[in-house]
Amino acid sequence: MKKINILYTLLFIFSISFTSCSTDDLDPSLEQNKSVEGSIVDVNNIYGILKGAYSQMTVSGYYGRDIIITNEVRTDNCFSNGNSGRFTTQASFTYTANTGYFWDEAYSTIARANIIIGTDVSTLTGDQDFGLHMQGQAYAMRALAHFDLVRQYGQQHTGGTLGVPYVTEFKGDNLYPARNTVTEVKDLIMADLATAFSLMDDSYYDASKEFMSKYTAKALESRVAVYFGDWPAAKLAAEAVIGSNLYSVIAEGDYVSSWGQDGSSNSIFELAFNSTDNQGINGLAYIYRTTGGGSYGDVQVLDDVINLYESGDVRANILGYEGTMLRNLGKFPDNQGYDNVSIIRYEEVILNYAEALFETSGDALTEINKITSKRGASAYTAPLTKDDILNERRKELIFEGFRYDDLLRTGQDIEKTSLQQNFLATIPYGDPRLAWPIPQSEMDANSNMVQNTGF
Amino acid sequence: MKTKFNGILTLLLVLLVQITFAQEKTISGTVSDETGPLPGVNVIVKGTTSGTQTDFDGKYTLKASVGDVIVFSYVGMTTQEKTVGASNTINVTMEGSNVLEEVVILGYGSQRKTELTGSTVQIKSDEIEQVPVASVDAVLQGKVAGLVMNGESGTPGSTTDIRIRGVSSITAGNEPLYVIDGVPMTNDNVSATSSGSSFSALASINSANIESITVLKDASATAAYGARGANGVIVITTKSGKSGKTSFNFSSSYGFQNDATDGPQVLTGAEREMLFYEAIYNSYGTAYGFDEAGAQAFYEANPGAFGTDYVVWNANGRQETDWQKLITNKDAPVQEYNISATGGDEDYSFYTSLGYFKQEATVIGSDFDRITGTVNFDKDFTDKIKFSTKNSASHSYQDGLLEASAYFSSPRAVKFFNPSIEPAYNEDGSINIFGTSLPNPLWIAQEDIDESKFTRILSNNSINWQTPVENLSFTSRVNIDYQVYNYKRYRNPVRGDGAGDNGYGWQAHSNNAIYVFQNSLDYTYELNDDHKFDFKVLQEWQKSRYYYLEADGDNFADVGLTNLASAGNPTTANSFFTDWAVASYLGTVHYSAFDSKYVLDATYRREGSSRFAKAKRWGDFWSVGGAWNMHKENFLADSDLINNLKLRASYGVTGNANIAINQYQALFSFGTDYAGEGATSPSTFGNNDLSWETSHTLDLGLEFGLFQNRISGSFGYFRRESKDLLLDVPLSLTTGFTSQTRNIGRMENKGFELEMNFNIIQSEDFNLSLGGNLATTKNEVLELAKDGNGEEINITTSTRRVETGHPVYGWYMREWAGVDPANGDELWYVDGKGSATTNDYNAANQVWMGGSAIPKVTAGMNIHVDFKGFFLDANGYYAGGHKVYEDWARYTNGTDFFTTAYYQGVDAILDRWQQPGDTGVRFGRFRATTDPWRLHSKFLYAGDYLRIKNVTFGHDFNSEIAESIGIDGLRLFVRGTNLFTWVKDDLLKFDPEIDSGGFTSLTTPPVKSIIFGINVKF
Repeated sequence: MKKINILYTLLFIFSISFTSCSTDDLDPSLEQNKSVEGSIVDVNNIYGILKGAYSQMTVSGYYGRDIIITNEVRTDNCFSNGNSGRFTTQASFTYTANTGYFWDEAYSTIARANIIIGTDVSTLTGDQDFGLHMQGQAYAMRALAHFDLVRQYGQQHTGGTLGVPYVTEFKGDNLYPARNTVTEVKDLIMADLATAFSLMDDSYYDASKEFMSKYTAKALESRVAVYFGDWPAAKLAAEAVIGSNLYSVIAEGDYVSSWGQDGSSNSIFELAFNSTDNQGINGLAYIYRTTGGGSYGDVQVLDDVINLYESGDVRANILGYEGTMLRNLGKFPDNQGYDNVSIIRYEEVILNYAEALFETSGDALTEINKITSKRGASAYTAPLTKDDILNERRKELIFEGFRYDDLLRTGQDIEKTSLQQNFLATIPYGDPRLAWPIPQSEMDANSNMVQNTGF
Repeated sequence: MKTKFNGILTLLLVLLVQITFAQEKTISGTVSDETGPLPGVNVIVKGTTSGTQTDFDGKYTLKASVGDVIVFSYVGMTTQEKTVGASNTINVTMEGSNVLEEVVILGYGSQRKTELTGSTVQIKSDEIEQVPVASVDAVLQGKVAGLVMNGESGTPGSTTDIRIRGVSSITAGNEPLYVIDGVPMTNDNVSATSSGSSFSALASINSANIESITVLKDASATAAYGARGANGVIVITTKSGKSGKTSFNFSSSYGFQNDATDGPQVLTGAEREMLFYEAIYNSYGTAYGFDEAGAQAFYEANPGAFGTDYVVWNANGRQETDWQKLITNKDAPVQEYNISATGGDEDYSFYTSLGYFKQEATVIGSDFDRITGTVNFDKDFTDKIKFSTKNSASHSYQDGLLEASAYFSSPRAVKFFNPSIEPAYNEDGSINIFGTSLPNPLWIAQEDIDESKFTRILSNNSINWQTPVENLSFTSRVNIDYQVYNYKRYRNPVRGDGAGDNGYGWQAHSNNAIYVFQNSLDYTYELNDDHKFDFKVLQEWQKSRYYYLEADGDNFADVGLTNLASAGNPTTANSFFTDWAVASYLGTVHYSAFDSKYVLDATYRREGSSRFAKAKRWGDFWSVGGAWNMHKENFLADSDLINNLKLRASYGVTGNANIAINQYQALFSFGTDYAGEGATSPSTFGNNDLSWETSHTLDLGLEFGLFQNRISGSFGYFRRESKDLLLDVPLSLTTGFTSQTRNIGRMENKGFELEMNFNIIQSEDFNLSLGGNLATTKNEVLELAKDGNGEEINITTSTRRVETGHPVYGWYMREWAGVDPANGDELWYVDGKGSATTNDYNAANQVWMGGSAIPKVTAGMNIHVDFKGFFLDANGYYAGGHKVYEDWARYTNGTDFFTTAYYQGVDAILDRWQQPGDTGVRFGRFRATTDPWRLHSKFLYAGDYLRIKNVTFGHDFNSEIAESIGIDGLRLFVRGTNLFTWVKDDLLKFDPEIDSGGFTSLTTPPVKSIIFGINVKF
């Protein structure tokens, strides 16, 4: 009988101990995450978010692969051989609004930059000067992402005036923004780059090139200005970079090998990829090559490209064959995608400068020959033409995602030059297909958004 | 009137006597039927839980007081009641009953069928046993009106989609809640990989141990699980011990399986070559001045543009490879062995079993096996305290496939994608590793690894105390569900996905512990014989703790080494911990009046979930239900025609919290890194108002039985309106987020349900019955979120759309308008049927195609015949009124290089335009291009199908024969599964059993099998 009383007692204790569960007992654990509120108290917290923003740029939908590849397969450089079915749609200009391309990735980068920009650094503990330097990087990043968006989604080559929404706040008041005009976007980009330059400090120069430094803002400014034909601005910005004496054109003998190395002397800013953090099968190397059947290898080089380089030009060594297929073997050479991806390098700034000088009647010839002289190529002789400059850009910057914009910003058609190209006939300048459609999901969620014509 | 009055007087007297003289004594006796003593009869004192079972000699002993009513019940027999009088011996003779008073298990309790106010369907063990399936939910198909079930893959052990009465939520889960032995369980996909085969936690349960499965459909039935009952509840009850001499049951089955349907057939190499030349001629013949016969020469002259595949093929003798045949595991064996024992004494009983199940997939490189053990034990500690424990452990192994999409190293994809002009073997008979454009599936199956191992331990322990307060009992239950999962992936360095990395390995380990504590009080109150009340108060606490660890690496030291120890370059180390908790309080009242002529149920549940913001955590759920057993009214009591007529109605509010954890919080995540350092990213938008999604369900039903239940059935109507939908409302992507989870929107599901059963012939030696069910479901979105301008925010994909006034994810796409006879261009309607046509896909607008992937009508049918021990059972399933979409048509149905140069087309594309004037063709002019994804109505098919799910023919040897060989019973049977399939749309070549999304997939289809079985009782 005693035993049974104990049993009863135990039963009651047992039950009562689980009867009282309150609202607080239902708080979930947060072991991998932190609440946004109250998480930014130190400059180091900003540093974490800044790295998160850079990391967002490395995704395969953005600089990890797609933005570079789509600007190559839609030109006279490359085509998609359909090995894995990738990039055939883009290469044949047959896209629809159901594919968003890098719209979300770029705006996600902007959102992260805006968290940093929206933080009052003076309220943080830690090295506030470094905080301001990082805010400068965030401004430059915001400018770059908006530039990428406007050059791909803007109507400047399809007969319209609309650009993209310029977003300057994280979770701001206007969650349904309308499109700014192309001109407005350009002005805001230039303003952000100017702010970036003024906030960043030389003393935080990053030799790894994996973080932006003060003159990265100027280098990007020269790119944006060239794109929009703002030649005086392009000239000034390029001169600032050159005047910094921080960078140099890579030597002839190092040209090919520099692609397998991170942080070379010609690099101004590159995104970090390494053996533990890379896009792997969704990366650049995997799409440029098949490496014996092990990777996708859809993006093949048009056969004619081999004739681009004169004998002795080291840049021809970037090219090579897999069987009978002409390939980009030299840029992003690591098959597992461990190479950093160059975002802006000194040679581009020189070429930007040359073009700006050409357009403002300056001495472009000297500048452009600074490139050829280090490539084993013949020097240009007077009179230098715009075509010479574009051709040199094509040779120098091939496979890096410049060709498409260079064709369009100079008002050229996308010519059908080869049977290999995925499109059957020349795409004339002004064709609606030259701009990406605004993603359908954006159209659905935001009634202030206006779709590009033709979609 | 006088009799009635006397009755009440007598009752009062009895009550009085009971109160005055209630004194316990020991009653004993023998229960028998016409053949002799009957063991296993339940003997309980009415209104209490005190009771026992008769032993092997039909004898029982229990304590009762004078005036107590003792209830004797046995399956298949009419329940008898005897009042305890002066005598200490009560002998009872049980009689067989045609009208079996079924007791339906409802999870937290059980109820006699006549007293149910809700819509439920119960499936008993004889329908569950002997169906050799990895996952027990497979037995539900066709058995429950309004239940739609589709396997996501035929890979054994993978998950199934179950939808009860349509789809109630857009973003939150639509899976029903599972309750095993009274405890809510998670039975989700536990697989660590989203690219490989899924793995259902339910596959760890051995169906041979299941006593019954009850499907609860309406609010009255599900309200007890209110907060999570909106999608219906599936209540699984496992077997308990039966006292008496230990008896054994051994069952074994062995069978062979093949794909239930052949699937699309692919082009031969010769056909593919012909189409290729045709494409080249069509695209370049005019421009380059060659005729159709000259296409081959033009091709051979331009290897840079077109490659040299056919040159090689022709030079090597045009060898055809049948990849489909090569990847098929013909007559794949399936086998199951179970042995169980049950027995016990007066104060204890046990059930124990051991089971082994093994199933090979119908494709190479995939199989599943499982070993299970169970010990269930019931013990009366004292007269008042009963202890019950149910314990089971299982270990399952699944060799899966990379099948969740069109992965090139999945043999199921290779069958459609790898050109038939490429040889599978080298001339010396070895596997052609390097010469195929996609990895050779024979090599991949031999070298690569995708395996899941899952161990699950379930321990359900309860103690019941008959308190000193009369009719008040207290039950406390603790359940532990411990799940350990291991995943191993290996990709060989030679060819395939690991070739670029010199070998790749990934291993994941997780464990999940889910605890449930329940305390409940049950009180039975009988005002008098005519008014009976059952009260229940229950408190429940459930907590899940999930821990995950994974690592991967590449650059393996040598071939044949598959563990991470040999990976030269470790690339990922990752671990995380998450938890969730649910707290609830439940109260139910069951009122039955005048021998259950009138029944009322009321349920209230208050539940708090960790998935919601603090202020919004708790939700209130309730239901009321009533039933009127009209056949017990005087005006029907003597009817020869009607023996059962019940009207029931219920209304209630149930909930759904089936969303990802931590959605209410605006969070930073730290899972990414940059430049070798950890990084911070905003991960969720957050919503501090996030709370429960609710479903408001009205259910009406009429149940009937005619001619002594020769004809029985039910007819019902339901309408369920889901409100405050947990919806991932799309955000402008310019915010940096894709969506925010909000409580917004409304959706409706309504329909009719009919169940019929005909006992056509009923006799001792010959029985014939026919049954069936039919259900309709109509789904409509009633309200969605609006953006800043008040415009509705729709969700649109290339093929589907969520918009008010239409079914959720209704088909919405460009409408195909045929092929232009003049030039062979594919045409689309600019604005749907009847409008102008265009050959520019982008110029055509998406339009509603009518319908969605949700079947509008589902039906099940069954037939049972038995004759002198021989029996035949068959059942079928029909689903219709829905549409399904052929996915991957771009690769398999293209009129471009995808089908003729890069991959492999299906033979359907031979029906093509060839010259001006060709009409009525399904495919346009072949061209030397790579066409983009063009999703349009050409590949949208009627989804209607009929499938004979099971046909079983067997023989139960009579007891004389069985006894002559020293056993108690013997059954031999042969079962055929999915033997016949009818598909309405001839163009739908894939298996019509398609997951709830409505897209065909390149997974293993359901199997067609022939299984031989034996069942011995001794």
